[in-house]
Amino acid sequence: MIEQKGPIRVVHYLNQFFAGLGGEEKANLSVEVRSDALGPGRLLNQLLGTTGRVVATIVGGDNYVGERSDDAARTIEDALRSLQPDLLIAGPAFDAGRYGVACALATRIAGDLGILAVTGMHPENPGVTLPHGDAPIVPTGASAAEMRSALEAMARIGGKIARGEELGPAAAEGYLPRGRRRPGLRKEPGHRRAISMLEDRLAGRAFLTELPVRPIEQIVPAAPIAALGRATVALVTTGGLVPKGNPDRLVAAGATEYLRYNVAGLDALSAADWDCVHRGFYTAIVKQNPNYILPLDIVNDLHRTGEIGGVYPWIFTTSGVGTADRESRRMGQAIGQELRNTRVDGVLLVAT
Amino acid sequence: MPIAMISALYSVPVSLGVNRVIKGARIEHVCGNPALGSERDRAYRLQVVRTALQSLTRAISTPLLLDPTQEAT
Repeated sequence: MIEQKGPIRVVHYLNQFFAGLGGEEKANLSVEVRSDALGPGRLLNQLLGTTGRVVATIVGGDNYVGERSDDAARTIEDALRSLQPDLLIAGPAFDAGRYGVACALATRIAGDLGILAVTGMHPENPGVTLPHGDAPIVPTGASAAEMRSALEAMARIGGKIARGEELGPAAAEGYLPRGRRRPGLRKEPGHRRAISMLEDRLAGRAFLTELPVRPIEQIVPAAPIAALGRATVALVTTGGLVPKGNPDRLVAAGATEYLRYNVAGLDALSAADWDCVHRGFYTAIVKQNPNYILPLDIVNDLHRTGEIGGVYPWIFTTSGVGTADRESRRMGQAIGQELRNTRVDGVLLVAT
Repeated sequence: MPIAMISALYSVPVSLGVNRVIKGARIEHVCGNPALGSERDRAYRLQVVRTALQSLTRAISTPLLLDPTQEAT
């Protein structure tokens, strides 16, 4: 809780793209601190008005923060320690997975240092599932076209918490529920609210549950393969692998289908015959060697030497970026079902 | 049927409850590293795939996260 005498001092966390430093080719940028507002930070400054000011921007390359998170964490921690902001605002990341993960890291570090923070991203962004301190997450759509409304919400909520004000319920204030329940009084007694909810439900009308029940997903580990030397292994990738020319038109993002291709007799995936359409990472390296996202060459070698019993001749591919949760589940179940119907003993799944 | 997931951004599958997760190299080249030069890259790629395959033979009760560079393969 801070006694606010002057404008709130805000530090803004951005990725390399929104900071205006470059696209995928700059995703390996290490964490830098700039002493002013960059990119959407300027709009954020406007929205904060007299109540707050962006005093610095921390910029992290999405790949760097994802792959060297310990180093990134150290730099972010040092920056926050020396800047001592009243508030950290991270993102919004929309549906950019790596960016969301980085925002979660930044807000977690802020939380560890006792610095208040707020972030924003799509509810299905993987960053939502990672520890993010106590920072409220403003839900956004997938597209940066919503930047203004996202920043408005983040500035409003951030301002509130920085001034020590209590946030209202998640639905009312506009942040993702944190699983906290506070005692309070409602207008109608419980039995009337319950019957009213039941009537709505039976009539097919929308209703808002007072107690969302969200089971934690625990996937029972599958029993192990007894002997690799007798096992047939299948390969699946979410790297957006396609035959050259993308004949079946696999989409670059937001996939709702997967494709299967027969690779019987094929030693390895060649750059001449295969391509990568995934929109979420810099694909030049994989285009030169598609085996980096589906290691067919290595698996074939191990089959030849007898280390594995067989290689399933069909490979499965989709583009794992901006994939809706329910579509991922459906595709996973379909692929799983297909493999269960064959003599496959185990699967290697390559993701980014 | 066990599944081994190879990922460079492994914190995500770990947080989602995936049971057998193998650390990949980099987002732009998950199952290998062209910067190693072709011989060492091949050795590394064998390490990654072998680690993933070996995880399929392990009976587990809680999720497993393996670093191919730390595993004997």
